[in-house]
Amino acid sequence: MEETISLKEIFQTLKQRWKLLVAIPLLAMLAGTLVSVFVLTPKYERSAELLIYQAGTEEGVTQNDVRTSLELVGTYTQIIKSPRILNDVIENGNLDYSLSTLQNMVSVTNQNNSQVLLVTVEADKPEEATAIVNEISTVFEAQIPDILSTDNVTILSEAVVGENPSPSSPNTILNMAIAFVVGLMGAVGLAFLLEYLDTTVKSEKDIEKILNLPVLGVVSTMDAVEPARKSS
Amino acid sequence: MARSTRTKKGQGQKKRQLIADVNKHSPITEQYRNIRTNIEYSAIDTDIHSLLITSAGPGEGKSTTASNLAVVMGQNGQRVLLIDADMRKPTAHYTFSLMNTHGLTNVLTRQQKLVDVAQETSIENVSLLTCGPVPPNPAELLNSKMMEIVIKEACENFDMVIIDTPPVMAVADAQILSSKVDGTIIVTSSGKTDRDQLEQTKGNLVKAKANILGVVLNNKPIDQNTYYYYQ
Repeated sequence: MEETISLKEIFQTLKQRWKLLVAIPLLAMLAGTLVSVFVLTPKYERSAELLIYQAGTEEGVTQNDVRTSLELVGTYTQIIKSPRILNDVIENGNLDYSLSTLQNMVSVTNQNNSQVLLVTVEADKPEEATAIVNEISTVFEAQIPDILSTDNVTILSEAVVGENPSPSSPNTILNMAIAFVVGLMGAVGLAFLLEYLDTTVKSEKDIEKILNLPVLGVVSTMDAVEPARKSS
Repeated sequence: MARSTRTKKGQGQKKRQLIADVNKHSPITEQYRNIRTNIEYSAIDTDIHSLLITSAGPGEGKSTTASNLAVVMGQNGQRVLLIDADMRKPTAHYTFSLMNTHGLTNVLTRQQKLVDVAQETSIENVSLLTCGPVPPNPAELLNSKMMEIVIKEACENFDMVIIDTPPVMAVADAQILSSKVDGTIIVTSSGKTDRDQLEQTKGNLVKAKANILGVVLNNKPIDQNTYYYYQ
């Protein structure tokens, strides 16, 4: 069926269903907030910094040493998440996690080609995250001489539990915003769907278009005019 | 007597308003007058003495339109007879608070004469022929030769005969009657009448050789800006 939709009609459709367009995003936002606050368990993130530093010779740090270190950074990122390190971490910390779970909790980043590796662990409790990330740092520092026969990893900063730890996730504000936008999109889609599915006659124009018959009169809803009755 | 009809109305029937009588100056009554005028103008070559009101589906405002049209026509000085030919679900006697012991069925089965059964209503110039006892075979009754005679007789005694019928999509009654009257009006309900059904309704009526005068659009949500400005 060929249908042409003008901008005005689109606007009209949205205007008719404005309640839908307001209600659904707000409900979605509310749902998002409730889920964030009550359903999702808060996660805490703690990070430790590792410095990859080729001690080099007595001549001091050469350009070469720096480049070697930078190249190693990529390798170390992988090594930290390898079973060899993480299995030790699980064993040492008597952790209840499987290897893959732990691997998912750990993320290693390296910013701007620096020699510093940022190891981040996300866990249910801040203390746990701190303990795990510090254990990883220690095990990694201890293992590296065995693995690569160079002792060039230094723990730059350890993770601390901190006072009043605030959860890293869920990000309630972000979730609310996402829920609102998704809700709005859904509402607009629903408004058009309803309009498309609504095959009822609406106005004089509809009748003239469909039946090609004259409209003798238009009677509005009676209840709506009832108040006028009392005054007469 | 009146009490029993009232209680019945209160129980099952949705309150049907004779707004054209209750509030003569409301915009709705104005619209019914408008419809009356348009009907008068739609008859170019022939005078319209009998009108049939129908719709595609149930509950779209046939009976309301029929009775209010009867009232505004009566106000105009025409002697009007409203016939409740909706033998499946007669309602006109509730609207006018009249008895339905004798009616159209009695006339069609030749038990009584039209002039005896038609009742005066509380509204000037408006008479009502109620449905009467609900018959088992409405379509046959309405299709009979007698129905034509009744309409003819009514047209002789009254200036305007308005016939309220069942919906077209449900039963054939309206189609049958539509060929026996001067003009047919289709009532539609905004936001309720389905487009396809409306098209089919028109098709059925055209097939029955009805003279469709036009359409009344009911229940249109009022636009605050368009009404009241004249009051």
